[in-house]
Amino acid sequence: MRQLKRLWQITLKDLLVMGKDRGSWIVLLLTPLAIIMVASFALGPAFNGELKSKLLAVNLDQGAIGKQLIDGLDTAEGLDVVEGTEAECQSLAVGDKKYKTSLVIPADFSSQILTGSDTSLQVYVDPTDNINRPFMLGMIDGAASRLSGMVTSVRVSVSEVIKFAPEAEPVTVASDAALAAANQMTGNPPVAVEISNAGTTADINMFDTQAPGYSVMFLLFGVMLGAEGLLEERDKGTLGRLLVAPVAKTSILGGKLVAQFLIALVQMTILFGVGHFVFGMHLGNSIPGLILMIFVTAFTATAFGILLASVVKTRRQATSLGTLIIILMSALGGSWWPLAIEPDFMQKLGHLTINAWALDGMNALIINGKTLTDILPQAGVLFAYGCICFLVGLRLFKFRNA
Amino acid sequence: MPLVTADNLVKKYDELTAVDGVSFTIDEGQIFGFLGPNGAGKSTTISMLSTYLPPSSGDAVIDGLSVTHQAEKVRNIIGVVPQDIALYPTLTALQNLKFYGKMYDMGGENLDKRCQELLELVELWDRRDSRVEQFSGGMKRRINMAAGLLHHPRFLLLDEPTVGVDPQSREHIFETIFKIRDSGTTILYTSHYMEEVETLCDYIAIMDKGKMVASGTLHELLSVLGEGGVIELKIAPPGCHAGLEEAIAGQNGVTSINHQDGKLLISSKNSAHSLPPVLKVLEDTGCTVDHLEIYTPNLEKLFIHLTGKELRE
Repeated sequence: MRQLKRLWQITLKDLLVMGKDRGSWIVLLLTPLAIIMVASFALGPAFNGELKSKLLAVNLDQGAIGKQLIDGLDTAEGLDVVEGTEAECQSLAVGDKKYKTSLVIPADFSSQILTGSDTSLQVYVDPTDNINRPFMLGMIDGAASRLSGMVTSVRVSVSEVIKFAPEAEPVTVASDAALAAANQMTGNPPVAVEISNAGTTADINMFDTQAPGYSVMFLLFGVMLGAEGLLEERDKGTLGRLLVAPVAKTSILGGKLVAQFLIALVQMTILFGVGHFVFGMHLGNSIPGLILMIFVTAFTATAFGILLASVVKTRRQATSLGTLIIILMSALGGSWWPLAIEPDFMQKLGHLTINAWALDGMNALIINGKTLTDILPQAGVLFAYGCICFLVGLRLFKFRNA
Repeated sequence: MPLVTADNLVKKYDELTAVDGVSFTIDEGQIFGFLGPNGAGKSTTISMLSTYLPPSSGDAVIDGLSVTHQAEKVRNIIGVVPQDIALYPTLTALQNLKFYGKMYDMGGENLDKRCQELLELVELWDRRDSRVEQFSGGMKRRINMAAGLLHHPRFLLLDEPTVGVDPQSREHIFETIFKIRDSGTTILYTSHYMEEVETLCDYIAIMDKGKMVASGTLHELLSVLGEGGVIELKIAPPGCHAGLEEAIAGQNGVTSINHQDGKLLISSKNSAHSLPPVLKVLEDTGCTVDHLEIYTPNLEKLFIHLTGKELRE
């Protein structure tokens, strides 16, 4: 009982010391908030469909189908058609302005289609553009597919009409069939694709996807400061003074663990609170589930800080090694981009990190609308992770300077 | 009656023996001084007595409690003032003292009262709400000392408490130490400043290279050099006369002769009386004097006498 009281006094002292350290609060709160805001606002337009890819195009076609194709592409979601000359399309440049993709519709485009003949669209791409290219080519390919369907239907129509009415003029039949098919181009396609968000939270925003990842990363940076604080106490002799007082080592480390844990809880709560109340971030359908995830994540991150302090010799090492590990864990664990876009082996590797388990649970709650019972496995893994870190840290930590 | 008994304390780090078989006793109410250069083993000895470091062998008993087997109980009756300023710089003087008091299960009115007593003792009560980081080096040292006294320790270990302080603050610390001694606390004081040990300590142990090379009261220690002073001579040519030392030893008042760095150190009961006959011997033996110095014995000279090197080397 006495040791518990001492543990609590050490906790209160650490909270007091931390409370007076404004620099730490900047790292714990202002920096993550600033980065979450920048990332959310920067990526938000693309995420919300407000950011459109520009397609430079020239329509050399004298007929109606080329214009219908341009109009169809211009109204497509996420795409904006800019008209240029053939030369501009070939160079992907209009004056100083550069484009990544261009489209040239040939002069005989409509007449070829109207007669059911083969034709082609010329597309120029910037070979360095790996981000937009699949989307742009997909859009043009989609339009080309619909036109190919149209040509096919014209050919079938001509062949069927001639079979039953040999006196019919094939060119006239083809032209009529093509015009009829072309009128279908601007309407809804016969086979539509409907896309829905999986889960129950339909209207997620950029903060929902950015805030948890960056919050976990800065939680880890916060506990790194805690690890440095522990080493500073050892270097400056305050830890030594506690060791010659009747205070158990478990109370010393336990007190510091509890203090850091409470700071981490406050940090996560404030980050999520600001995200929710100021930027409209969703908290999912299970507040108890989110509280559980925040608790276990804060505990595990704190225990990781104790482990970090136990494996380094100096504060400088704690800073450099800690920063390296946290950046690696954040990249691997999905704090910067979704784990799902990584290869399988990277996803498996990513689940060695605190970030991956924490984000699995938080994303399940916030984005997919899961419940408390759904995220118990992730919470359990994180708790076990934290216990191992603390016990190993307690075993390895050198209370005295060498 | 001894409050502290150290019995053959040894501390080894791999190949290095930092403390090599140190034994001593400290009587209750005494100020016991450890004098020695940096690296002599003083702080390591204090670390073992304070239970911070376990001895490699040997043991020490404080008020009947073994530092190796009853460390937890020992911690309740000792106070430690480390060489480092072991305080939280962003907390105030009062917050620091209250925190350390709570580590000894103190609290409430008792702790408030004790903090006030100690802050008044070190004359910093009016600065109790100032952050420690705003204090001068001397003020930090005084708070550092107060933090070791909160729980009324029976035995206080002070490890070089005046390092880096100005003369005025040093005087202040000395006054505080005498007040602590007068309140009945037994004190172990380490320093590499001989003036401090001479001024403060009732009993002095001199350490060098992990060993205790001499111990006793100041008077006992200095008598090794001769009560009446030392005549230091450098003679040319070296070994100018085979029977010179015997001839000097037979002169009136000469108590001992030692060699150091090619010099003769002649201790006597009264150096002023002994000098003329010694010079007469030199003249008679055909030796000439290159260097002559007469001095009153002090710990610095004693240390040189015992170890062949200066205390501050």
